[in-house]
Amino acid sequence: MIRVSAAAPVGLALVVFVAAWKAIVVVGGYPPFILPPPESVAARFVDAWASGVIGPHAAATLVEIALGFAVGAGLALAVGYLLARSVLAERLLSPYLVAAQATPILALAPLLALWFGPGLTSKVVICALIVFFPVAVATMVGIRSVDARLLELARSLRATRRQIVLTLEIPAALPNILGGMRVGVTLAVVGAIVGEWAGAERGLGVLVNLARGSLFDIPLMFATLVTIALVGVALYLVVVLVERRLVGVR
Amino acid sequence: MIRRLALLVSIAVAAVALVACTGGTSPSPSARTPLVVGLGFIPSVQFAPFYLAEQEGYYADAGLDVTFQFKIDPDLVTLVGQGSIDIGSADGTSVIPAVSQGIPIRYVATIYGSFPSIVFARASSGIAEAADLEGTKLGIPGRFGSSWIMLQALLGSAGLSPDDLAIVEYPDFGQGAAVAQGAVDAATGFANNEPVQLGLSGEEVVVLHVDDTVALPGPGLIAGTATLDAKGDAIRAFVAQTLRAMREIEADPERGLEAAIAAVPELAEQRDAQLAILEATIGVWSGRVTADEGFGAIDRDGWQASVTFMTDLGLVPNAVTVDALVTDAFLPTE
Repeated sequence: MIRVSAAAPVGLALVVFVAAWKAIVVVGGYPPFILPPPESVAARFVDAWASGVIGPHAAATLVEIALGFAVGAGLALAVGYLLARSVLAERLLSPYLVAAQATPILALAPLLALWFGPGLTSKVVICALIVFFPVAVATMVGIRSVDARLLELARSLRATRRQIVLTLEIPAALPNILGGMRVGVTLAVVGAIVGEWAGAERGLGVLVNLARGSLFDIPLMFATLVTIALVGVALYLVVVLVERRLVGVR
Repeated sequence: MIRRLALLVSIAVAAVALVACTGGTSPSPSARTPLVVGLGFIPSVQFAPFYLAEQEGYYADAGLDVTFQFKIDPDLVTLVGQGSIDIGSADGTSVIPAVSQGIPIRYVATIYGSFPSIVFARASSGIAEAADLEGTKLGIPGRFGSSWIMLQALLGSAGLSPDDLAIVEYPDFGQGAAVAQGAVDAATGFANNEPVQLGLSGEEVVVLHVDDTVALPGPGLIAGTATLDAKGDAIRAFVAQTLRAMREIEADPERGLEAAIAAVPELAEQRDAQLAILEATIGVWSGRVTADEGFGAIDRDGWQASVTFMTDLGLVPNAVTVDALVTDAFLPTE
């Protein structure tokens, strides 16, 4: 009963979105090669998945996202903790972290592809780079928000550093950390696509370029964009489920 | 009375003379037909005919008010089909899949009579023909576009496929530098660009052309079918003046260079190199059909062969005829 009522607004929003899309096409008189109608995109989506056009590209992108997120989030957790607990580390590292975040990844991606080659490594690096900042900042904020009185209590009970970190700081900071990961995982999708545009044989970003630039198959391009969006939504929901399991519903 | 009559006659004669004098000049700006012209991604010496025709007033004298826009090929084809751009320069190998997908465009004039996309290598690499590419490392911007199609045609002529060599992608178009540095054995490029740059550095260069294998259609002028119906005379005039500028630049390349520098002042910093590129470009304007029929002529047999080849590559999902792709109705009749 609860699940049905929770899904209803989502379904309704989707219907409204598709109806608005169709209305724009009809009222605007847009030709299919400029803005294909939703039914064309849906048909091409089904056809492209059934014929195996999208599948291999989606698999390649998912591998890049998974590895990039793992590397980026893993490093971010460690660095975020360091930034939270060391004033010196924060003063030393923060300017470079902010500068790296402020530099558009689209500008960095070709350089990274040059340094790390056109294979999987450069995509993982690009993904990790784009995931790093939001997770690191969220970790830093979460760790700093741990109640100082609890820390004092733990120290008075002679808890070891390891015990403090594992049983107090990380559990207390989890809501912030997982919030950062929600942002990070969706940015990982962006990073993978940008990495593929900097040079790749396979991936959803490659398929977008192929559909648009070589095949002029605009419905396929839109179907690929829908796939990218669905991947992002699915990964976001995975993080939400993990968050509910570890922290509960918020 | 007589003096008044003489004055009136004088005024009348002066008015007639004034009208006669202005009859040979350009139509006033408000009377000209506006045309948005789409050229390639970056302003370049290769667009010298367009710059020359604009600067010399050829377009204005023909009643046109021309505005240039610079777009990448996929965007340009789509915008021409939509009508946002009236006429543009685009690859023939883009026109075939585009029309197959229902984009309403027509190729109305050939600019590059030979297919400009080529494979090049240092002569010291030992590569002299397509068969020598087997087992080598070859640089390419990506597995799409005219260079990818050309490469498959070239390799196919030697019984090879892309799987028979190591393809290295350079999405930043750095494959020319990669050949110069020895990072790859060969690369795709344009006959009027990378080989010229490499040759100017003192290297002896080998260039492999696809024209003897498949007469792929080179870049030319395209227009939307709706635009051809609505602005046919303007399109015809634009084509005529552009081909006129091409003939003048062929006879005097320095004129073309000066026009390009006037449009893109940065080109003056590499005058010699830009002149070499322009001269190479002029060389590619000529081809099998244009050599006999003049600039702009369309090689229908070549287009048919290209349709067949690209259909075999799976790039033509819906059958197209040459008549649906090209029209020579907008070429000068003289």
